Amino acid sequence: MFRRTPSPLNRSSWRRTAPPAALLALVLAATACSPVESNDEQTGGDQTSSTQDVFGDAADAAQVKPGGTLTVALSADPDKLDPTLSRSLYSRYVFHTMCEKLYDLGPDAKIVPQLATALPTVAADGLSLTIPLREGVKFADGGTLDSAAVKGSIERGLTLAGSGRKSELGPISGVETPDPKTVVIKLSKPFAPLTAALADRAGMVLSPAAVSKLGANFSTAPTCVGPFKFSSRVAQNSIKVVKDPLYYDAAKVHLDAIEYRIITDSSIRSANLRSGDAQIADSLSTQDAPELQKDDSMSVLQSQSLGYQGLTINVGNAEGIGNPVKQLDTPIAKDPRVRQALEASIDRESLVKTIFNGLNTVACSPISPKSEFTSEAAQACPAHDPAKAKELLGQAGVTTPYKVEMITSNNPDSLRLAQALQAMVKEGGFELVIKPVEYASLLDQQDRGDFELLQLGWSGRVDPDANIFNFVGTGGSQNVAGYNSPDVDKLLTDARQAKDQAERIKLYGDVVTKLQQDDPLIYMYRQRNLTGVSKKVLGVQTYPDGVIRTAFAGFAK
Amino acid sequence: MRRYLLGRLWQSAVTLLLATIVVFLGVRALPGDPALALAGEDRDPESLRAIREQYGLDDSLLVQFWQFVSHAVRGDLGTSIRTGESVTGMLKSALPVTLELSFLAILIAGVIGIGAGVVAAVQRGRPAEWAANALALLGLSVPNFWLGLMAILYLSVAMGLFPASGFVPFFSDPVANLHHLVLPAFILGTGLAAVIMRQTRSSMLDALSADYIRTAEAKGLKPSAVIGRHALRNSLIVVVTIVGLQLGALISGAVVTERIFALPGFGKLTVDSVFQRDYPVIQAVVLVTATAYIVINLLVDLLYSVIDPRIRVRGEA
Repeated sequence: MFRRTPSPLNRSSWRRTAPPAALLALVLAATACSPVESNDEQTGGDQTSSTQDVFGDAADAAQVKPGGTLTVALSADPDKLDPTLSRSLYSRYVFHTMCEKLYDLGPDAKIVPQLATALPTVAADGLSLTIPLREGVKFADGGTLDSAAVKGSIERGLTLAGSGRKSELGPISGVETPDPKTVVIKLSKPFAPLTAALADRAGMVLSPAAVSKLGANFSTAPTCVGPFKFSSRVAQNSIKVVKDPLYYDAAKVHLDAIEYRIITDSSIRSANLRSGDAQIADSLSTQDAPELQKDDSMSVLQSQSLGYQGLTINVGNAEGIGNPVKQLDTPIAKDPRVRQALEASIDRESLVKTIFNGLNTVACSPISPKSEFTSEAAQACPAHDPAKAKELLGQAGVTTPYKVEMITSNNPDSLRLAQALQAMVKEGGFELVIKPVEYASLLDQQDRGDFELLQLGWSGRVDPDANIFNFVGTGGSQNVAGYNSPDVDKLLTDARQAKDQAERIKLYGDVVTKLQQDDPLIYMYRQRNLTGVSKKVLGVQTYPDGVIRTAFAGFAK
Repeated sequence: MRRYLLGRLWQSAVTLLLATIVVFLGVRALPGDPALALAGEDRDPESLRAIREQYGLDDSLLVQFWQFVSHAVRGDLGTSIRTGESVTGMLKSALPVTLELSFLAILIAGVIGIGAGVVAAVQRGRPAEWAANALALLGLSVPNFWLGLMAILYLSVAMGLFPASGFVPFFSDPVANLHHLVLPAFILGTGLAAVIMRQTRSSMLDALSADYIRTAEAKGLKPSAVIGRHALRNSLIVVVTIVGLQLGALISGAVVTERIFALPGFGKLTVDSVFQRDYPVIQAVVLVTATAYIVINLLVDLLYSVIDPRIRVRGEA
């Protein structure tokens, strides 16, 4: 999409010149439109500053006026507004304003208490967690938050048909409520990732009255504790929440309402931001962000995601996920040297620079450098070396160019990436054939094992376990590579059960080293969460979990 | 007449059933199932199974089809797999938006198309005709999505004249409603305006050379009366028919326009549901569209025989 717009005309003179001007503009645009701007203009100058995290600041009450409706342009429609059943990132944007959790994430990706008053006290055997609760907290329907409500919500996550929380909650054997402000979670095995799960949807507390009234239809009128409460939803189009006067910290809430408007096209999203129809737009394209950064009336919040984008190679997913793996009989599936060659022929640095305007960052492992679990081993990066790639292919005995077919999502960003990769790996002796597929079909094909190579990513979670185990652990629900390695499985299981963080860090480092030898998944880059915010609004923040925090924002005086 | 009506009703019912079967099977032939699309990143075998079970996706096709049809005849179109909302409710909120958008588009296209057509016919061979023809060609060849993007960039972003997205229901604020809809309706109407312009022009040219026009002129009528009352009126019959035929194109154009301007209409609902493999919604949308087409066709056929006595229906002749 082209991004240059003419300087705004003077409104009063506009009436006379409008029709011819509009027509002229259309004709001019037809001839001047260029799909991709040259790179030197965008990457020059503020290259270093453009990759620094900008989380945004909390609003200063003195500078914010009360009231107003904030419009947020969302890039995708959230699914069910039920914390137990929801599965999309976008529902978390909406939940954050109306469903608080036991724990939250700070801007530094550290877990902090929200509806709890302190981090959980873990018993010496690691089998029970004691969580103290905030007192005097009311649900949007007037009910009081207590340990029974927390117990009910956790149990709902474990038992409700179709629950998306069951695996996140791990081996919980029971929830006890010694008194109204204390919750004790009992585990059958130690499970370190639990606290992080309670800082997400699994830790949201649902109003027991609303749950008993609505049951599985909770999503039609979600009721929790939050600065805002659900007002209305127009399917595929918008969701509105309004200020909740019962919220315990209501004095900090400035806005009257927030409307989430779903606009899937990224250039239209940024156009809405510039026209003032929306004050916030999420998931800006790396093509649109530089232009908005130059705009004085806008700021672009950015944070590195905890996830990754990479290439998954089908090594053993012959019969679809859920079935036993079976070694595939192709050189790239059988011989790790071929996969190492593919990795060596990818120039990650130039990829992020040329395709993503230097806004995304290089990734060689599933562990973000921003994570508490990072280490030298976790950040080690195999060098770009096409000569070595060719040599490895020679050792593996394959003839070059080695032809490999890659399926990828059919959105513009993915296609640009695929084409760049195609040109890049050619030098290393690969002939990449691109097959663009629509997203739902891509998921289907990867689960059935109907691919040789696929490009897709993972949005990332705070705990590294959630970013690794399911993807490369034997029998993992998202192990579409069909990879199995007893060594990796052991390291991952040990890390899951380790009580000491230093021990977990070491184990995850070892996992990365092993993964880089076997290469079932070639990690390429980490996306940045790019959020455009109008300067008319203060107090909008994004954290590394990718969720845009708007609850305590307000319009500038 | 009664026999004809019964016959047509029977035909319509069969057509509707066939359309339902085709859509039902077509949707299921798409790669990727709703459970996968819904689970997205967070999928694990257990929840996929649970979703499939909850929505009966693991039942045989015959059972699923029976469930759908038996509920649909009772007016229950099911619940959306993605949002858990009632499909009937979703349709109720989406339909008026698209109807209003299409109505406005026809209105705008009519005014522009007929106006330009009359000018082109009357000013035959002069620059005005040339300009009108060029405009029509532009209207036909420029795709809606591009025009929509340009309109947003120039008219909304740069000049701040129209909102770039959003919708306000007519009855809560008519002015804001029109302000939101004028631009999308104009974009949607461009193709139709071009068609109307061409049709009006050629019909007008025919009419202007007809004997009754010469008679009217000879009677000493003012040129405006000759053109307006005699030539244009007679030309409009064909134009109205063409507009009717173009309704389908208008609805498919609305899909694109609604997506660009984030209007909560029928078209946007359809496309988004297809991407999310939301079977109940897709089925309902197609069912409603098919019913609308069938009913309109039926009405048009019946109206023909009422309006023009020369068109006799079979069985009565």
